[in-house]
Amino acid sequence: MPAQIAINGIVIIVGNYGSGKTEVAINLAVDRQAAGQRVRVADLDLVNPYFRTREARRPLEALGIEMVLPPEGLLQADLPILVPQVAGLIRDPGDLAILDAGGDDVGATVLAALAEAFAKSEAPVRMLQVVNPFRPNTDSVEGCQAMRKAIESASHRQVTGWIGNAHMLDETTVEHIARGYALMQALVADSGLPLVCMTAAAALMPAIGALDVDCPMLAVRRQLVPPWQKPVPLQPEKSNG
Amino acid sequence: MPKVLMKGNEAIAEAAIRAGCLNYFAYPITPQSEVAEYLCWRLPEVNGVFLQGESEVAVAYMIFGAAGAGVRVFTTSSSPGISLMSEGISYLCGAELPAVFVNIMRGGPGLGGILPSQADYLQATKGIGHGDCRLLVMAPASVQEAAEMVMQAFPLAEKYRNPVMILGDGLIGQMMEPVEFPDHLRSEPSNKDGWASSGMDHRKSKTRNLVRSLFLDPEQLNRHNMDLRAKYERMKAEEVQYENFNTEGDYQALIVSYGTMSRVCKTAVNMLKEQGIEVGLIRPRTLFPFPEAAIGEAAAKVSCRAVLSVEMSMGQMVEDVERSVRGARPVQWYGKCGGEVPTPEEIIEVVKTTLASDLSRR
Repeated sequence: MPAQIAINGIVIIVGNYGSGKTEVAINLAVDRQAAGQRVRVADLDLVNPYFRTREARRPLEALGIEMVLPPEGLLQADLPILVPQVAGLIRDPGDLAILDAGGDDVGATVLAALAEAFAKSEAPVRMLQVVNPFRPNTDSVEGCQAMRKAIESASHRQVTGWIGNAHMLDETTVEHIARGYALMQALVADSGLPLVCMTAAAALMPAIGALDVDCPMLAVRRQLVPPWQKPVPLQPEKSNG
Repeated sequence: MPKVLMKGNEAIAEAAIRAGCLNYFAYPITPQSEVAEYLCWRLPEVNGVFLQGESEVAVAYMIFGAAGAGVRVFTTSSSPGISLMSEGISYLCGAELPAVFVNIMRGGPGLGGILPSQADYLQATKGIGHGDCRLLVMAPASVQEAAEMVMQAFPLAEKYRNPVMILGDGLIGQMMEPVEFPDHLRSEPSNKDGWASSGMDHRKSKTRNLVRSLFLDPEQLNRHNMDLRAKYERMKAEEVQYENFNTEGDYQALIVSYGTMSRVCKTAVNMLKEQGIEVGLIRPRTLFPFPEAAIGEAAAKVSCRAVLSVEMSMGQMVEDVERSVRGARPVQWYGKCGGEVPTPEEIIEVVKTTLASDLSRR
């Protein structure tokens, strides 16, 4: 399987509610930082007050990944806060700026408000849709395409690629990832858009080699865990990228 | 249906449909708004109705009307919203109407916060409304259990002709877990002929059903209250549910904890076991009726020296735990609220401190 996830400039992570956007954004940032890219992450989830990127800000910052968040005093507010630094980040993303949008078309609406900043930026912009086929409504090509259309309409931007995030949390097996990969291939054929990567829990990665997966695999170390579990330490492997 | 990955709020919504409930009235509030969001598109698929009320007060009476007509109906809200519904809930109890209320608790008092809390325990189990009214209160600890309890709640509400409450903390609504549903579970109230105000056309009996909670004759009202009391006593005899964890062998302390808090406690119990300290745990699955006998018995075990009630509140369930233990062992409370959840490490520390202080008294 290809080893590297080829992204740079601005990468917007979208997807339906609960597809795993935030966990993907966090782990993508860690993966790319370990590969030598300088990564910044902006939490644009203005919709849901639970399980947001900001909960992983300390481990990410410890790895040198810069976070663009509302001020500390407003982090827990149940308010849609879009900080002006996001526009600056879009104008000048450096190696890689990952924008973690909120769920569904509702969460992607914020991107339309940033249209002016995107227009002024010369950096390449990718909008990647995260899909977990084990979530309601995205278990079929039609479901994923319907969500894509809704997100594109709300954000006034085109989705440019897919990220296959097939999992059932602690109950995930290699079989789930194989089934997810099959759906993603059907989605690629239907949409003509590339599959940027698939994901798997870091602990499952050794077993993935047996699958014939023709795309990069992103190792996921789960950060947004309930209080009776511990986040998996974010120890990036040495990368040759 | 194969397993899917769902948020607790989504699973609660789907479970209600599987239970044959096609009527949902609600007003949005964090952290449970996903129930309404899910039912917005899902209910029309099954010819159901979702109507957003102008407030929680209105919603409670929309529930009253639908329940009185003999259809399965439910609502979901969070702490401040439930407070607004409390008058209507008392009316439902008084009129002996079945309905399901889901409270995904957030921090209080007042507007409080939007993160998980268990600070509505006393409200749900003892003070849900004016008058001598009680709810059957169920407390799920996982997404799967939340779905199962919702499906159990409808027939229970009809069995007792009384509202049933699912009391979950914010985490139950917001976290995702794999969940599966039975394929077909649809049903209607089987006993509605005797009470529903649904017209005379299809009724076997020729007497009219009257939906009311007003009884001006004191003798009649007293008799009504005695009947209600008999129902609540029957709930205590027939509906207690709880889970035992690590209580087979000897243990030095007993933890009582419910909802997602109990899962943090289980992690602490497992960590303590590794350190050579055995702690038993009882998790009430129903909060009213409360598993008094089970807790009393578990606390009385010779090896057990102390009982700890761990809650995301400032000490509410601990009153029921004390009542269950009846002075046989010292009972302590430990908790946090407002969105802070006690960690396994904190619970371990409290268990150790409690055991040390108990030892020094001997």
